[in-house]
Amino acid sequence: MTVYLFIILGVFAILSALMVVFTKNPIHSILYLVLTFFAIAGEYVLLNAQFLAIVNIIVYAGAIMVLFLFVVMLLNLNKETEPHKSILRQLIAVIAAGILLIVLVGSLKGADTMTIKPFAQNTGYIENLGQVLFKDFLLPFEVSAILFLAAMVGAVMLGKKDIK
Amino acid sequence: MLQYAALIPFFPLAGFIILGLLNKKLPKNIAAVIACGMLLISFGLALGVFMNISGKTEEVQLAPWINVGSFSASFTFLLDPLSSIFLMIITGVGFLIHVYSIGYMHDDEKHNIFFAYLNLFIFFMLVLVLASSYLLMFVGWEGVGLCSYLLIGFWFKTKAYNDAAKKAFIMNRIGDLGFLLGIILLFITFGSSDYHTVFTKANGLMSGDTMITTITLLLFVGAMGKSAQIPLYTWLPDAMAGPTPVSALIHAATMVTAGIYMVARSGILYALSPVSMLVVAVVGIVTAVFAATIALTQNDIKKVLAYSTVSQLGYMFLGLGVGAFSASVFHVMTHAFFKALLFLGAGSVIHGLSGEQDIRHMGGLRKKMPITHITFLLATLAIAGIPPFSGFFSKDEILGHAFSAGMVFWVLGVIGSMMTSFYMFRLLFLAFYGTYRGDEHKVHAHESPKVMTIPLIILAILSTIGGFVGVPESLGGSANFDKFLEPVFHDAYAKMLLMEHSQILSEVALMGITVAAAAISIFFAWNMYVKKKTVPVSEGTRLPFLQNMSYHKYYVDEIYSALITKPLDKISGFLGNVVDNKFIDGIVNASGKLTNWVSGLMRFVQTGNVDFYLLAMVVGIALIIFFKLM
Amino acid sequence: MNTLIILSALGIIALFAEIFRFRKALFPLILLGLGGAFFFTAKEYNHPQIFLGMMNFDNYAVIFSCAILIIAFLWFMMAKNYFLQETSVTDHFALILFSLVGAVVMVSFSNLTMLFLGIEILSVSVYVLAASDKSNVMSNESGFKYFLMGSFATGFLLFGITLIYGITGSFDLASIHTQVAANHDSGLVIAGILLLMIGLAFKSSLAPFHFWAPDVYEGAPTTVTTYMATVVKTAAFAAFFRLFSTCFAGVTGHWTDVLWWMVVLTLFVGNVSAVRQKSVKRLLAYSSVAHAGYIAIAVVSMGAASTSAILYYTFTYSISSISAFTILFIVSRHKGSKDISAFEGMSKANPLLSFAMTVAMLSLAGIPPTAGFFAKYYVFLTAINAGNTLLVLIAVIAALVGIYYYFRVIIAIYFKPEQQLVPIKVGPLHRTVLIITTILTLLFGLFPNLILGWI
Repeated sequence: MTVYLFIILGVFAILSALMVVFTKNPIHSILYLVLTFFAIAGEYVLLNAQFLAIVNIIVYAGAIMVLFLFVVMLLNLNKETEPHKSILRQLIAVIAAGILLIVLVGSLKGADTMTIKPFAQNTGYIENLGQVLFKDFLLPFEVSAILFLAAMVGAVMLGKKDIK
Repeated sequence: MLQYAALIPFFPLAGFIILGLLNKKLPKNIAAVIACGMLLISFGLALGVFMNISGKTEEVQLAPWINVGSFSASFTFLLDPLSSIFLMIITGVGFLIHVYSIGYMHDDEKHNIFFAYLNLFIFFMLVLVLASSYLLMFVGWEGVGLCSYLLIGFWFKTKAYNDAAKKAFIMNRIGDLGFLLGIILLFITFGSSDYHTVFTKANGLMSGDTMITTITLLLFVGAMGKSAQIPLYTWLPDAMAGPTPVSALIHAATMVTAGIYMVARSGILYALSPVSMLVVAVVGIVTAVFAATIALTQNDIKKVLAYSTVSQLGYMFLGLGVGAFSASVFHVMTHAFFKALLFLGAGSVIHGLSGEQDIRHMGGLRKKMPITHITFLLATLAIAGIPPFSGFFSKDEILGHAFSAGMVFWVLGVIGSMMTSFYMFRLLFLAFYGTYRGDEHKVHAHESPKVMTIPLIILAILSTIGGFVGVPESLGGSANFDKFLEPVFHDAYAKMLLMEHSQILSEVALMGITVAAAAISIFFAWNMYVKKKTVPVSEGTRLPFLQNMSYHKYYVDEIYSALITKPLDKISGFLGNVVDNKFIDGIVNASGKLTNWVSGLMRFVQTGNVDFYLLAMVVGIALIIFFKLM
Repeated sequence: MNTLIILSALGIIALFAEIFRFRKALFPLILLGLGGAFFFTAKEYNHPQIFLGMMNFDNYAVIFSCAILIIAFLWFMMAKNYFLQETSVTDHFALILFSLVGAVVMVSFSNLTMLFLGIEILSVSVYVLAASDKSNVMSNESGFKYFLMGSFATGFLLFGITLIYGITGSFDLASIHTQVAANHDSGLVIAGILLLMIGLAFKSSLAPFHFWAPDVYEGAPTTVTTYMATVVKTAAFAAFFRLFSTCFAGVTGHWTDVLWWMVVLTLFVGNVSAVRQKSVKRLLAYSSVAHAGYIAIAVVSMGAASTSAILYYTFTYSISSISAFTILFIVSRHKGSKDISAFEGMSKANPLLSFAMTVAMLSLAGIPPTAGFFAKYYVFLTAINAGNTLLVLIAVIAALVGIYYYFRVIIAIYFKPEQQLVPIKVGPLHRTVLIITTILTLLFGLFPNLILGWI
């Protein structure tokens, strides 16, 4: 059962991701992206990672996408403002990306991954996540604070008006 | 005495630093005194070394230098008869040229910086000959190249001078590439670049080792660049763009002989490789004859001397190639005397004629510049190999060895020697004899000041008697010069079992032939330029084929330009224009019109430039993955 | 660890400086803080420490951190004037300090998560700094271009990390090493290594992933360009080598041949494109790409001497670059042009600038007695030891081309007629920087052991 659900959600995620690229209207693109995130959140649930699923929806589908929508609407972007791109260029891009995809898939076909731990009932629970995050990966957790601080300072700096 | 030897290079370095830092703040007189004084002290020390060195080899370690893993090198100077002779030449002739420059450069606005460069050059040259490892020698080697480059382009207001400087630099880099690869191979083979280690280990090897042949050939490529041998010789004549004392010091007496020094220093390695020896000898003799044929028709007084230098360097390599190491070093010494004198004499003429360099516009200077004339005559006799002048002894020693190595070397050598006498006397007769052909009203030829003529006189004395230190046994001498250098070349000679000297009778006979040949060509020159008063035709006149080829230096410059320079320019131009201008500049220009951040941001994404970059990345990644995994 | 704490704290103090209005005191404070960070880092030399299994402060990390701190110190002295003209001084300084945290993490990580975080901290700060000249469209463009392509490359880096995690089940370098050795012929391992390499090649601007470099270097403010060419490049190569020497030294067959071709391509593109450049800034940008090629030779020829070769190369290259960029900055501000023609005939009136520029150019060209010569020499030596003779040959030819364009600048300075005889004003800080860098370049050229002895 879960396998079928996994496949259905996966196909759904890929299809909506494709629609993000193919729709001309930026607002539609963003809405499709939200759909993609929901599908992926569903996959997380299937993998017993409820916390990740919820965070994914709250942060990505909720906060970030709303921000995107605001930006798009504020700038009043739509189909008409999108400059024309030549067919040739699109064709080249598609072919190149397609080749990369084929090559990657081909190279990874039949490769074995390693199973580290057998699946347990509490795998993916918040408690375990907390253990890993605050014990094993405490340093990266702390250091990522610097990353966010830097990103924030950068955003403010670029955004604010220069006082003359 | 020897412990002070390490200081020899540092006096010129101190001179360079003082002059370089104070530059304009120093009055010209004081700057000149500092520069010459530093060199005089070095010369004194060098003399002390020379007196004490006979038969000894001393190493003076200054400081550990590099120490990484198995690789180590140190600032160590090596003192032995060979380096002491070069020390004497560099500091002695260098000092005289410095003194001469006081007069020659007196009115130049960059007077002080000129002396600073000269001192720096002397420093690097001394490091080159004092080094006790190939690596340290390379440092000096590069340093003298740099100074030569700076001094050739010293009067940089003219484009031609700049081009000459660049050409010298590029040609030398090609040579340096060979030299550097040779050093790296030495490291791989012997695990060190110290002479001592390398030569000791090499002494145990068999003759004909492939690795040794490769190394020696690569080192020889370096020597070809520095010492202007075929095919890397074209920079030297162009280098005459620099001030005349520079030509005398760097491009005649010292730097260009660095290649000879290096090959002589590596004598044991060359002795192990008959193939390399043959290559050296062939390149040497071909260059000697080839350059001499060009010198026959040149009309610029410095160009004649430049090609003559190339030709004489060819003789020195011939000597090295046939195993006459000490004879070559001997010729380096005598050549330093008479060629420096010739250049300084030419400089005196140019100075006296307010910059005229074309011998067609000279003539009759004998009366106006008596000291220059006499000294120039003595130098010309020396280079032509007329006994008992210095050039006779050294050149004939080389030719004697060439004869035992192969008849053909000797025959070509004598032909080259004949041409040498001819073009040198052509130069002498055209410049100093006959009547003055320039514009009497414009230029008042005058003798140079004492500060210039006294070095000329000293060099003239040396050119005349300098050969007596090495009078061969066949002429009743005792070959002191060879004996002095014997300890250095002992191992190399031992490896070359075939080096048998020809019979005394035949040696004297050979000398007779060469002297007679030189005398005949002097007669021809006299007949043509003094008796018949021929003057070389002016530009644009059609010349007979051979003469034309010689006059245009066999079009070698043009061939190099067509084969190498132009295609490189084309490729670079293509990349610059098409790839850079079309893709990158075009995009940058397009985005330059954007007016504000947001529209810039949005349109930028879609202008296509990043598309292209990303495309390149994606294609790159796909290719990499494809080749590694499929 | 002390280094990280000091640098982060300094960054936060810099932010506070805006609020509490002690902007004037900030600059000396930062220099002092960098000095302190240097002191505490140097103290850990020969006392390796491991932090939570995430960072291993071994001698490699200590030496590279120290090198980065010295370069950063010189950079601050050089960049002070530029940033004081702008309004958001404190933000700029804070971002630089944060990016230094990233750089230190990049040289000391022992876990792939830390590598990723280090790269991102460094990159995010530099993306913003590249765009920091807000009134200049070129700067905006450059920042955005860098950001866009950098994110793309980060994607591949992450993908690589994922694949490696998939096969080894760990982010830890030591266990990756053992696991990779056990599964060395798995497709996942090869693909993972290659993707990691591509991500890092982008950061260190190796062809064909270098396209961003010339544009971004040219568009960004000169001081930021300097930072990218020096600190960022040093950190990128230190991380590159740390990762590959610890984890993938046993499976060189999977990646050295690819890197070999990338090096050849980089040397070619970097050097040949630089030949025709009119703008000194763009010339230095291409030269920076070319130098990445030389440094990568030591990575390709992984061996005992590679570490010291990379250290020596990155450090001396950074010092010469700071010299060259500082002079470019001074001259372009004075003349309003970054072209080579702006340098013509400046030797008369500006002996210090001319001499310093000459030394820097000679060093970049690799001519003794400057440090650049030994940098190339050691790199070539590693290659020879590893049997990569052909690569050395190609690199030497590339170096010959390099000499040509570096000498164009020297020729312009010394051998072109003077344009104007007014001396260019050089502030005391810039003067100090130039004197220090020039002396160091010559000193390390004469005594390479001063650096090499440490590692």
